[in-house]
Amino acid sequence: MSELRRDPIGGRWVIVDTDHPNKPEDFEYEPHSWRGGVCPFCYGNESMTPPEIEAFRQPGTQPNTSGWRVRVVPNKYPALQIEGDLDRRGLGIYDLSNGVGAHEVLIESPYHQKDIPDLLNEEVENFISMYCRRALDLVKDKRFKYIMVFKNFGAAAGASLEHPHTQIVALPMVPKNVMEEIKGAHNYFEYRERCVFCDIIRQETQEKERIILENKHFVSFCPFVSRFPFEIWIIPKKHNGLFCHMPGEEIPALASILKDTITKLKKIFANVSYNFIVHSSPINGDGSTEGYHWHIEFMPKLMRVAGFEWGSGFYIVPTPPELAAKYLREGKT
Amino acid sequence: MPELRKDPIIGRWVIIATERAKRPDQFSSQAPEGPAEKPCPFCKGAELQTPPEIYALRPNRTPPNTAGWELRVVPSIAPFLRIEGDLERRGKGLYDLMNGIGAHEIVIETNQHIANMADLSEEQISKVITCYIDRIGDLEKDRRFKYVLVFKNYGWIAGAGRVRHSRSQLIATPVNPKRVKEELVGARFYHDYHERCVFCDLIKQELESKDRVILDIDGFIAIAPFASRFPFEVWILPKKHSSDFTSLQPSLRPDLGCILKKVLMKLKKGLNDPPYNYVLHTAPFRREKVGYWKSIDYDYHWHIEIMPRLTRVAGFEWGTGFYICPLPPEDAAKFLREVNEA
Repeated sequence: MSELRRDPIGGRWVIVDTDHPNKPEDFEYEPHSWRGGVCPFCYGNESMTPPEIEAFRQPGTQPNTSGWRVRVVPNKYPALQIEGDLDRRGLGIYDLSNGVGAHEVLIESPYHQKDIPDLLNEEVENFISMYCRRALDLVKDKRFKYIMVFKNFGAAAGASLEHPHTQIVALPMVPKNVMEEIKGAHNYFEYRERCVFCDIIRQETQEKERIILENKHFVSFCPFVSRFPFEIWIIPKKHNGLFCHMPGEEIPALASILKDTITKLKKIFANVSYNFIVHSSPINGDGSTEGYHWHIEFMPKLMRVAGFEWGSGFYIVPTPPELAAKYLREGKT
Repeated sequence: MPELRKDPIIGRWVIIATERAKRPDQFSSQAPEGPAEKPCPFCKGAELQTPPEIYALRPNRTPPNTAGWELRVVPSIAPFLRIEGDLERRGKGLYDLMNGIGAHEIVIETNQHIANMADLSEEQISKVITCYIDRIGDLEKDRRFKYVLVFKNYGWIAGAGRVRHSRSQLIATPVNPKRVKEELVGARFYHDYHERCVFCDLIKQELESKDRVILDIDGFIAIAPFASRFPFEVWILPKKHSSDFTSLQPSLRPDLGCILKKVLMKLKKGLNDPPYNYVLHTAPFRREKVGYWKSIDYDYHWHIEIMPRLTRVAGFEWGTGFYICPLPPEDAAKFLREVNEA
């Protein structure tokens, strides 16, 4: 018998196929391959991007030249524009505003063909520190209500450039699913005076069946209510709403669990494309953040998502998260 | 300047990225066909390759599971939900779960090996519509079910699998899907304040401004919604208020068949036969019970949402519910209006 499971935060139901679960070899995914060609994110091509916003550089090197370790530039084709007023207005029954916001690209390392598992821990720490620095800078702009940090790796996951990079988008409003999560967490907090995410961590670390990795500050696990097969969450054990307020000692722990988790995933699914999104509290006073707990949601791109999910918000998960976590822990193929 | 637009029903913001907008004709589909086709179990003569039929149109009263049908409904060979058993709602620590009870049926829309519904006759599409109504009505009798999802996946990218034969799917669920619930709540909120249906207001405004209207025929309208998530997203709505698709009068079914065929043909001709999904949005079963709300018939309005799959959707859209649409719906509507569907 398959199971219907309800997400304790947003209340979403998903179908988990516990009857005939998909094994890793049952997925026909599109493997990522390096196409090469001229890359605006490689050393020597710094002038092909808009001028850099910030970079970690070897001492003595100039902005917009080689010698950087992590580099942040404005997106050449931004979805939002930094200049101007929001100018919220109505149009009959509709509401709209100008598309004001920031859209930055963070180039994770100078290496064109090195994704997170191929980098040194220290190199991963560097770009995570940069996530925090950029977010802390964008928070100062009072027009922005939310900072979205996300990565698309591989063409199948929507990456248009293959050199590994993360995008940072500052939005003048809070995205819908995030707002729902915050409301759900807030309702739980109001009733129990506890954080729902802290409760999830407690239950998961006791039951252990969905845990992939655990270190001093973080756990990675397959959530009980996954929407996608092999969906993974990475969450700090200590309650904290805003990821950019992450204490310095947590950064190496995050770098190591992120790298090791993706390494385990790629052992099972060679060259898989993936997305991850940092979920964090809204900024500049939009929404209650007391019961929220930042985390990373990670989705390997193993399936074509069909119309059923689009229209209904109702997901079918062909591999139960308990089984996915077991495969990932044991590195079985 | 890009625009941020808010969906008036569920309050989702989307970015209409006018800056990097391509011209409408540059979205033309280049979707891969996918792996080689499998032998088709849905064609005339292959009736024994599916589970036994639940419903069929057999004008010459031929016996079930033989040739001689015009349209046929069979259980899914790989159902996600099973019909037998009890729900057994239970908790597991802070999590809630229940057994996967439900129905999963396949509507085989034609006995010919035709892949795209756009290539069926209007008359045949009307039969499909009547079949949806009959099947939903039958599933409503099972009191374990709250909702029937009706949807179609066309093309490999849209999830159609390795058989290219036009079909739709019905899934009866013991819970209301999240999107449906959000629409119901949003529509009720609007109705509480304005004492009008938000969809009726939307139709009125669209018919006045005409910018986003693709087709306007007797009884139905096809529009590119103001806060489109995808380029060339299309909604088909009945002009007359109705919450429940199954109450569609037989006299209006040919009109729905006509507008559906025309829209699908415009997409096919204008955008090089793109993969697409459509989903029927209708009111859940309304049974007197705890939590039943009586105003659904006034505040909700059924419709069909069609989503061509022309761009890859990246992970952040999934994770955030926040979409970037690279084509203003006004441009999409103008382009589709001008495509000759005949």
